[in-house]
Amino acid sequence: VKEHDFKKCDQAGFCKRNRAFADHVVANTAWESPYNILADSASFKDGQLQATILKTVNDAGETVRLPITVSFLESGTARVTVDEEKRQKGEIELRGDSKARKQRYNEAEQWVIVGGLTLDKEAKVDYQDDTQITVQYGPESKFEASIKFAPFSIDFKRDGDTHIKLNDKGLLNMEHWRPRIDASPAPEKQEGEDNSSSETESAETTAAQVPEAYPGEDQNTWWEESFGGNTDSKPRGPESVALDISFVGYDHIYGIPSHTGPLSLRQTRGGEGNFQEPYRMYNADVFEYILDSPMTLYGSIPFLQAHRKDSSVGIFWLNAAETWVDITKEKESKNPLALGIGSKTSTSTHWISEAGLLDVFVFLGPTPQDLIRKYSELTGTTAMPQEFSLGYHQCRWNYVSDEDVKDVDRKMDKFNIPYDVIWLDIEYTDDKKYFTWDGHSFADPIGMGKQLESHGRQLVAIIDPHIKNVDGYKVSEELKSQKFAVNNKDGEIFEGWCWPGSSHWVDAFNAAARKWWATLFKYARFEGSMRNTWIWNDMNEPSVFNGPETTMPKDNLHYGNWEHRDIHNLNGLTFHNATFEALKSREAGEFRRPFVLTRSFFAGSQRLGAMWTGDNQAAWDHLEGSIPMVLSQNIAGFPFSGADVGGFFGNPEKELLTRWYQAGAFYPFFRAHAHIDSRRREPYLAGEPYTTIIAAALRLRYSLLPSWYTAFRQAYLTNEPVIKPMFYTHPNEEAGFAIDDQFFVGNTGLLAKPVTQKDKETVDIWIPDNEVYYDYFTYDIIPSNKGKTVTLDAPLSKIPLLMQGGHIFARRDRPRRSSTLMKWDDYTLVVTVGKDGKTAEGDLYVDDGDSYEFEKGQYIYRKFILDGDAKTISSVDGEDRKKVKEGDWMKKMHQVTVDKIIIVGAPASWDKQEVTVESEGETWTATLEYTPAGKGRAAFAVVKKVGARIGADWKVSFA
Amino acid sequence: ATESVPRGVGPEFAKFYANKETFTCISNPSIVLKSSQVNDNSCDCPDGSDEPGTSACSHLDPLSPEQPLPGSVTGTTNTTRALPGFWCENKGHIGAYIPFMYVNDGVCDHELCCDGTDEALHVGGTKCENRCASIGKEYRRLQEERRQSKERSAKQRRTLVKEASELRRRVESKVASLKEEIANLEVQKAELQKKYDEVERAERGKVVKAPGEGGKLGVLVGLAKKRVDELRDTLDKVLDQRDDLQDRVDQLEDILSKLKEEYNPNFNDEGVKAAVQGYENYAAGKSTEKKSEVVDADVLEVLKEDGPDSGINWAEFQEEESSDADIVYNLEAYLPPSVRPFIHSKISSLKVWLIENGVLADNPTTGGPTESKLVKAARDALEAARAEHTTKTSQLADEERDLAKDYGPDDIFRALKGQCVSADVGEYEYELCWFDRTTQKSKKGHGNTNMGNFERITTEIADEEDRVDGKGLGKGPRMVLRFENGQGCWNGPQRRTDVWLACAEKDELWRVSESEKCVYRMEVGTPAACEDVGEPGAGTKGHDEL
Repeated sequence: VKEHDFKKCDQAGFCKRNRAFADHVVANTAWESPYNILADSASFKDGQLQATILKTVNDAGETVRLPITVSFLESGTARVTVDEEKRQKGEIELRGDSKARKQRYNEAEQWVIVGGLTLDKEAKVDYQDDTQITVQYGPESKFEASIKFAPFSIDFKRDGDTHIKLNDKGLLNMEHWRPRIDASPAPEKQEGEDNSSSETESAETTAAQVPEAYPGEDQNTWWEESFGGNTDSKPRGPESVALDISFVGYDHIYGIPSHTGPLSLRQTRGGEGNFQEPYRMYNADVFEYILDSPMTLYGSIPFLQAHRKDSSVGIFWLNAAETWVDITKEKESKNPLALGIGSKTSTSTHWISEAGLLDVFVFLGPTPQDLIRKYSELTGTTAMPQEFSLGYHQCRWNYVSDEDVKDVDRKMDKFNIPYDVIWLDIEYTDDKKYFTWDGHSFADPIGMGKQLESHGRQLVAIIDPHIKNVDGYKVSEELKSQKFAVNNKDGEIFEGWCWPGSSHWVDAFNAAARKWWATLFKYARFEGSMRNTWIWNDMNEPSVFNGPETTMPKDNLHYGNWEHRDIHNLNGLTFHNATFEALKSREAGEFRRPFVLTRSFFAGSQRLGAMWTGDNQAAWDHLEGSIPMVLSQNIAGFPFSGADVGGFFGNPEKELLTRWYQAGAFYPFFRAHAHIDSRRREPYLAGEPYTTIIAAALRLRYSLLPSWYTAFRQAYLTNEPVIKPMFYTHPNEEAGFAIDDQFFVGNTGLLAKPVTQKDKETVDIWIPDNEVYYDYFTYDIIPSNKGKTVTLDAPLSKIPLLMQGGHIFARRDRPRRSSTLMKWDDYTLVVTVGKDGKTAEGDLYVDDGDSYEFEKGQYIYRKFILDGDAKTISSVDGEDRKKVKEGDWMKKMHQVTVDKIIIVGAPASWDKQEVTVESEGETWTATLEYTPAGKGRAAFAVVKKVGARIGADWKVSFA
Repeated sequence: ATESVPRGVGPEFAKFYANKETFTCISNPSIVLKSSQVNDNSCDCPDGSDEPGTSACSHLDPLSPEQPLPGSVTGTTNTTRALPGFWCENKGHIGAYIPFMYVNDGVCDHELCCDGTDEALHVGGTKCENRCASIGKEYRRLQEERRQSKERSAKQRRTLVKEASELRRRVESKVASLKEEIANLEVQKAELQKKYDEVERAERGKVVKAPGEGGKLGVLVGLAKKRVDELRDTLDKVLDQRDDLQDRVDQLEDILSKLKEEYNPNFNDEGVKAAVQGYENYAAGKSTEKKSEVVDADVLEVLKEDGPDSGINWAEFQEEESSDADIVYNLEAYLPPSVRPFIHSKISSLKVWLIENGVLADNPTTGGPTESKLVKAARDALEAARAEHTTKTSQLADEERDLAKDYGPDDIFRALKGQCVSADVGEYEYELCWFDRTTQKSKKGHGNTNMGNFERITTEIADEEDRVDGKGLGKGPRMVLRFENGQGCWNGPQRRTDVWLACAEKDELWRVSESEKCVYRMEVGTPAACEDVGEPGAGTKGHDEL
């Protein structure tokens, strides 16, 4: 990484100011926050508290009015919103004839929040006087918000205990509007910067500006700021919002992706093993990013959860501007004499955003599942994906021609390697003009698309938000003539550099621009695209090669004259959204689930498609680092995620490539990708034994697709993670809280721990409970104890994968060329008998994988149950489906049956030849093959040719 | 195959399925199934033999995730199936086995299974018609066309072989004549050497008698002349080298100025930025720097052969002077012509004064060359003979090397050497010059790029679908010509090209691809790559016919 290309906290004025402020507060025990609620302004009605905070801004006692709203939502979530009256009413003046909006950005909600805002009518004031107000809310009124007026702070309690405190440390800071008064001498320039302050208002005015947050605050960064040769005009002056949020008694916090580093976030104020810099969220195209760093990456989700044994709480900081989060942990002891006994750790976070409202949602849990569910009620759940998109994606920058694509397609078949999607990076275009094809190398895109289609395969083509600035390019001409592009600070079309050279950027905040954007994807307009063509949105941070920190100037103006600084972190989401909407219908009568991969994202992007962790490297540590990154996405409500298999930059050695495929088979989004300068590395090129091992990893993924799809259904319903870290599945096992290299898949009980180290032939898996665990490939019983690690052999050919007892999951065992060609295959069910020797359960969701018919009930959802005495295995409707009239797809599914049931850990009483199957009013017998336990291997039984329809109720009886 | 054989069973396996009541797994005779279990779309035999007509046993395969499977050879699903695949009879065309995983997947694999029997279960409503009649007919037509084309190609090849062997014969006869000439030259050389030695001995006697001759200065002068000649040669070479380097600097400056104009300044590549910055500084420095005043004319003057009118007149030393003292008399020979008259007059007067005062003796001898014209002639003749010998020897070595070189089977590429084929691909024209190099020529005038120099012939296995136009590599061993060490890539390795050859009626560059940066692949059709089919007596017998 070119670290100097990206800001450190002290190079971002507002971050530097707020950190200095925090230092000042910590150093001055007598410090008192100057924010007080005006007691008689507080009114509570219909689940909402309205009041005014007065911020005292100088010794003379002058104040600024900050309206505050505390909303209590039906879901049990509380929301605290603070605005600034003067800006809200537009009673301020901007410098330099700026056309920017005067308000603090208040439209993030329009992009991010899709529900869950209904106020809790049951919430009630429990206590109120001149100094405070206490509101009870939430399920059974177990939650309580205790709002202190002077200084302003809020304690959030559950069952009487405080879990979250706002402004407990007094770091609340809303930089109110002030006119610029230039003292003489002129403000110092920032070190090493070519600060050109042309704004010379009255230079003679010597009246000292009111010190802002605390006496002696550094004012150098209030106005223009420069970085890397770019100057930000900052027409609204300082306007940051910051707040300390403390998690009382919580040692682990997770979330705020995307960052490298551990899942359980580190402290950021230095010290051994800690970061020096705050976690930063400012979506950026970070070239060759480094591992183990709080640096910003391509996307951000300001959702953070704190966890301890028996409890999870969290917050969601709804702000789209550049945001930094400092994290500190402190041990506190209830009884100072107890010397550590009963002491616990609390975690404090300091949130610092450059602009916008203070808008924070508070979740009181108590489980990790509750947190994600509540967060997702607000921001939406994972889109039901195109089924093919859970298959394997073969990508490279670049497949050089349509012939090349067809050749790779043929070779994959030749080597019996399944794949669903082949990708085209930017070189397919005519001179980087999106929606066009290079006439020489891609002369026949339709012929290419048809070959892929013949085996149920798909093509993904890249379309980026930068539009080449060139005459005669229709897209560019339309963009300009209709004014759908982002403007510069003077309100003229912004011109910057990206892949095509001089470019303009589509402003997807503009509804008319999005409507136009959708027209570009129509089959009739985007010639060469077909029904199996899908889209990849890259560079949507946006990446601007000659912009500050490789992105847009912050004083650029978007639709509605919001500054880029206001909306930056939302930019990727809006562009992704525009493409997503465009793909739903590309011709009259079509209505299908889009597939759009995005690089940049924000809270809410999970509704739109998949993300990947950007431009990683072909190195072992990047493979290792990918797992906490993907897990972090999963627990932050955006599970459809993966890292580039093989590593983008460089050439992976074959062992690394193989291990990466084995790990990638467990990324929710499974794509191999490679840089243009890297050597070719399609799986069939690896040679033996690697090609066979890679093919086996791919087939493992494919055979488990029914279970992956079922996990995505769950993510669609509740936004549950698709792969789950230990703290999430076992929230009471403290030893698992920091483990971020192993995970469960959906609700299958499959526990995977990919090998991520060179020459490693064993792995240590931490066992979280007392259940029985079986080896996936051998049915060996793993000799395990709760809370202990077991060592498993993992030669190159083996993926460490365990089956937790007590589950039933579905597979499709027949290898096929693509997932589409598995559509009509019969199922295999795997039952892992729990340690009680009697019970197991699981589920399966199936739909047409492509349309929105599932919203009308056109799907199959089964629950499978091994009953308490291991006498029957039955399949029942997981939901009430009686009223659903079967459509075309459901009728065709009548052909599809349960082929086999494999029961691992089968009781000895099953040592018999036949079982009875009952379904749809008929009864027949099926063969049962019982294999007694052998050297370390569990006994298992196979019911052959069950023959019952997958969509029907059935029962297999062993008694 | 009779009607009673279950679907998908190939003729050689029909016997295992003859029993109408039961079926015995082919490699597990202990497992006996009801015949209703054959092709019931559920796998029962550990070797998969009960499902010849469905995909139910397709997971019995080393590529599928391993699971325990009692009864199989390995005890797991990582095993071998008893059957090679699903048999499509393809009546009217050619029967074939197709992979089990293609069976009942909802796709009509007509190109493999033209009778459509692979989709007998009609999953998802798939119906595959029998297309064997039309596919078979088209196949036979194409086969016939190919056969004819092959014959024509083979004819072409035979012509090439003839040409090649004629070329070889020429080289061989050249070798023979060179050998003869060299033998003659050796005799001649020996004679000349002898003659020279005699002449020289005789002359040396004369020289020795001459007083004052062969003094130290004479030797020094001889050495000095030699040295000067060497230096002059070196300077000449250095000058050539300088001119070459200047050319290259010009080229590089050209490339850099193009880079500076055309690079994307915001591409985030520090390397490029630094390079451009460096070039700008260099260019700025260059425009202010004083051009060095070494004018070529001066150098050329120095390079001129020595003689009476230019440089040092060695003759003055060698032929007229022989005494050490002569240095004084001929001091002026060392001087530049411009000052000669002045010094000459001064020295003359000094000389006169010295003689007059008895300090210096009068000029002791006149004439008496160090080497007689006779010796010189003898030596020149000898050297000429030696030079010719060297030339011929090296010519012989070249020709012999050429004879030993691998020109492919039947020496066939000898006939193509020096010829080129090219093709237009996009913005480039690509060219293959046989046994020489591959080149990428820009149509936008960015110059030519060497994509590799010929190294060697290798053989690789091609495995590609046949193309309708026949312009493809097909399947089987193919000659691959390796071209390596071409022009280096920006940030990358040197370019190389693999040229895959397939039989065709004429030389044609079919396709060029760059599968990864700077690694190219050409597919080329040529009669040289054909197998010889037909005409008995033709082919490798070329030698004997001559």
